[in-house]
Amino acid sequence: MSLTLQISMIVAELVYFAMIFYFLRKKMLSIKYSLLWLVFGIVMIVFTSVPSLMWRFMWMFGVESPMNGLFSVLLFFILTIIMSLTAIVSRQSERIRALVQSQALLEERIRELEVKKDEH
Amino acid sequence: MRVLVIIPSYNEESSIRATVNELREQAPDVDILAVNDCSTDATQDILTELNVKHLRLPINLGIGGAVQAGYKFADLNGYDVAVQLDADGQHDPAFLKDLIAPIVAGEADLVTGSRFIEKEGFQTSSLRRFGIKFLNGLIRLVCGVKVTDATSGFRAVSRRLIVIYGGEYPTDYPEPEAIVMAKMHKMKIKEIPVVMRDRSGGQSSIKFLNSVYYMIKVSIAIMLRRLQ
Repeated sequence: MSLTLQISMIVAELVYFAMIFYFLRKKMLSIKYSLLWLVFGIVMIVFTSVPSLMWRFMWMFGVESPMNGLFSVLLFFILTIIMSLTAIVSRQSERIRALVQSQALLEERIRELEVKKDEH
Repeated sequence: MRVLVIIPSYNEESSIRATVNELREQAPDVDILAVNDCSTDATQDILTELNVKHLRLPINLGIGGAVQAGYKFADLNGYDVAVQLDADGQHDPAFLKDLIAPIVAGEADLVTGSRFIEKEGFQTSSLRRFGIKFLNGLIRLVCGVKVTDATSGFRAVSRRLIVIYGGEYPTDYPEPEAIVMAKMHKMKIKEIPVVMRDRSGGQSSIKFLNSVYYMIKVSIAIMLRRLQ
């Protein structure tokens, strides 16, 4: 890996971390969901600052071109994060459904009670 | 025996009045609960005007969520039997008695009305019949339940199953999956012949372009149920 590439990647990673911390500080991102992003960032920092470590890691998995290996790692992380997002969305919609139903049930009860109250 | 008829309603201004009136006439001893699934037309005004018991969902949940809200209501209010009936006039209240009878007799927990046993009345398109046959076969393969009209939304449910459906009910296109779910909870399932009419208003929730998605989604859902 050329020094230029190494430096530009590290700069990109710093921007990446700055963004995560900005979101965390502004409470736009909960810590729970930022963990995966942070882990991914740390792995990338380690790989780009100690390229020999990355080379060895890639060889271990039978990757012949380290840059392709890096892309694969990136893709894997992105897929994992998207999948966990889909899981979160599914759970959210379950909860919204339950909430909407209980709201509707309560609203009906209030209407009934008001009718009864007027009768008295 | 307290019976609740649940009518999921989404934009049914053209048919809901006739459905409710017919039901009141033919089955005066049952309670009616319309579930307005956040309709954008005059459905809400008509329900208010008819002075029929109804739930107003603040967000559109789709047929599964609307029906489940009805089951939750039936559970909370201690109903013994809940019946699902479409608002579009397809389901004839004359069959209500037949649908409820096996539950009252303790012979079944889920009774579905099939238009294909006696093959009378509205039989839908041949493509849809093929899809329904495929789902019938899949349900039989997966859990051994023999049904001839897996997608029928005209069904009666016992107290035990009301509680189960209130707690968990499949989302979009729920009917076939709900049968498998009932079987997995060891409920007794029965099918009776009914005559369905062509819908008087509105359109099927299953449009042609959605049918491929429908078949894939429902098939996966049925098979997943078996694995749970």
